[in-house]
Amino acid sequence: MTAPQQPDAAEQDLIDRIAAGFMVESEEDMTPGYKRALITQLTVQGDTELMSAPAYYLASRDAPNINSRIAVTAIVHDELGHANIAYRILEDLGVNKHWLIYGRQPHEFKHPYGFDQALENWAEMVVANGFFDRAGITLLSDVHQHTSFGPLKRALVKVDREEVLHLRHGESWMKRLAKAGGEVKEALQRAVDWMFPMTLEWFGLPDHLKRHSGQLVYRLKGKTNDELRQIWMGSTVPLCEGIGIKVPAHWDEEAGEYAIDYPFPCQYDAQAKRWLFDEPLTWDQVFERWKARGPMNERYVEMLQGAFRGWLAH
Amino acid sequence: MAGSLTEADVWDALRGVTDPEYPLSIVDLGMVYDVRVAEGAVAVDMTFTSIGCPAIEMLVYDVREAVNALPDVRDIRVEVVWSPPWTKDRITDRGRRVLTAYGVAC
Repeated sequence: MTAPQQPDAAEQDLIDRIAAGFMVESEEDMTPGYKRALITQLTVQGDTELMSAPAYYLASRDAPNINSRIAVTAIVHDELGHANIAYRILEDLGVNKHWLIYGRQPHEFKHPYGFDQALENWAEMVVANGFFDRAGITLLSDVHQHTSFGPLKRALVKVDREEVLHLRHGESWMKRLAKAGGEVKEALQRAVDWMFPMTLEWFGLPDHLKRHSGQLVYRLKGKTNDELRQIWMGSTVPLCEGIGIKVPAHWDEEAGEYAIDYPFPCQYDAQAKRWLFDEPLTWDQVFERWKARGPMNERYVEMLQGAFRGWLAH
Repeated sequence: MAGSLTEADVWDALRGVTDPEYPLSIVDLGMVYDVRVAEGAVAVDMTFTSIGCPAIEMLVYDVREAVNALPDVRDIRVEVVWSPPWTKDRITDRGRRVLTAYGVAC
């Protein structure tokens, strides 16, 4: 798809009105460019929420007791509800919700690569809450604060509150596992070792490589990828340092921002769950890896779609 | 040393333990039923807003941490009780104001 580099008169008019504070409320207010950018944003948002559900559900079986399993299944329930909010808005824009969930092939979903990975123990489950849900809050609270699309702004009030619980669940458990020391803390460190770079990559292309962002032009979000990545590190790096967990990033006093301590981006060995810091990649190569999808993509989608097919067969 | 800790100190500490979603404390939510202190041994009776509450594990941990952070605490026991059952009538006026500001009917 090639977006026009120069917006036409109608697009420019909408962009100008949005810059002056105009809120888009319905399809009649939109230009084709705005609608396209909004559909992409909502699809990524809904798919991200949806694909966290099978990942978290499988990991909930590693919960150390019944109350922590209830916590994770409640989080799964929240995430499905959040996916429904995005898909429900997409329905108003003429996209078929049933097709979104049940009609697409596994590789057609637009969630981040992080949710194509297996969460194989309790440490990985709680780091997912601490890191991935923190990324979710970082991205969505920016959308909530800045979006020019009224229905989404209102819908995100509930989403933001619930994501706070997920994050607090993750951070509270990360502190507990670190405090326990020994093998428990080592498992936490191993989870952080692959999940920290995974989340950094999630925020996408660095600003200096990004030519044009429809999402910023139409004020569907407010902050750039690099700004959001910095906000995420601003919470996550001190959290980890405070509990004695090592992360490959540090506060750079001179630059006044967080610096990443490895060639970013770089290759990932999904089977071994290991980042290959000696194999730097271009972002085009990262996009290829994302497009090929990760090891759990088909299984997670099958969990969601298979149950529905089974129900139809009865 | 032991003996200087009072029940009021513990209640104050519990006011710092907040609901996982909204910025109000478990005290303002009316979830703390009783606090007893005897020579540095603290017992807290608390309930939850539902039996399937996903935050039980986390909040019990937070309560223990908050109390343990007080000076002169020798022991902390958190008892989760279900009688009398929690209802929204237990929310304090302050709690009601916070929830109303977030658009939650209470």
